[in-house]
Amino acid sequence: MTEQASGLQSRPYSGGAGQMARPQPANLADILERVLDKGIIIAGDIRVNLLDIELLTVKIRLLIVSVDKAQEMGIDWWRNDPMLSTSAQDLADENRQLRERLDELEAGEGGSSSG
Amino acid sequence: MAESARYLYAISRSLAGDALADVRGIRGAPVAVVRHEGLDAVVGDVPLEEFGEDGLRTHLEDLAWLEEVARGHDDVVRAVAELGPTAPLRLATICLDDDGVRRRLEESRGSLVSVLDRVAGRAEWSVKLVAPSAAAEPAAEEDRPTSGAEFLRRKKARSDQRQEQHLGATGAAEEVHRELAAVAVASRVLPPQDPQLTGIAGTMVLNGAYLVDLAAGDDFAVRFRELAAAHPTLQAESAGPWPPYSFAVLEEP
Repeated sequence: MTEQASGLQSRPYSGGAGQMARPQPANLADILERVLDKGIIIAGDIRVNLLDIELLTVKIRLLIVSVDKAQEMGIDWWRNDPMLSTSAQDLADENRQLRERLDELEAGEGGSSSG
Repeated sequence: MAESARYLYAISRSLAGDALADVRGIRGAPVAVVRHEGLDAVVGDVPLEEFGEDGLRTHLEDLAWLEEVARGHDDVVRAVAELGPTAPLRLATICLDDDGVRRRLEESRGSLVSVLDRVAGRAEWSVKLVAPSAAAEPAAEEDRPTSGAEFLRRKKARSDQRQEQHLGATGAAEEVHRELAAVAVASRVLPPQDPQLTGIAGTMVLNGAYLVDLAAGDDFAVRFRELAAAHPTLQAESAGPWPPYSFAVLEEP
């Protein structure tokens, strides 16, 4: 087998327009796209919920595995993606708004019962 | 010896007995053929501890492990695809023993046969088109804007230009796909790959998969080169032949 510990990085298209790719080890993104996302699905004896492990999930996990590496490469898109992360700031904001709302409600209730 | 399980790589038919003798699968394990009623399942042993439910759950999170298994899986599928019609199985399809494998062949026999009929004598090609990530700034401004209105006018012109380029790329992608699909017996548009995963800058405007008759492979390649040359602003890449991963689907009639 020809394992290549090539990791995530794949080179940019270098052939330019019109070049057919030479036969070469397919890049990891292409392979994962096919072996995880395509092909016949038959339930074996070992239950694997591959639906949970579609590419997006894998991608996220890959990046989380190497957050430091990703950040070195300038990859930080998950920071601003609400599907993936709620930043501490958002949580703090939401928390503050909820507390204010609670205070209002309590104040309103107190006001009406005393008035 | 640790307990092992049967990992299924692909389904084929009429495989010669020793055709896969030199092929090695995941972890370098030899592969074997389990036959049932005219269908051949290509299988190999994997350690049950590593490929059991708990093991998989843990290991699928591990990129190095995943890459090794994915490449091992793909290696075997490719080897089978060189021998005959091949329906690749999704990664990590595992039975406890050969009887389990035969049971699966029996259960899905009809649809497996029609999948093999559909892909026989054909291979998959992928074509990707990538538009540059942002419109290049216009050639050095010959002069500075003379007024605020002039500045805004230029700004709008640049924005229009970018919009046009985007629409142009999308339109070109549709055209390329249409033309290639005409040479293929089936085609699918896959979701664009994320640049963060591929490391490719720019917007992938086409990630197409094409099932092409082996005899039409050269025509497809020629057509691709023509289309790529006709759209020099797009980066074009074609890869293949792939085993028909994108066209081996049980659900379709």
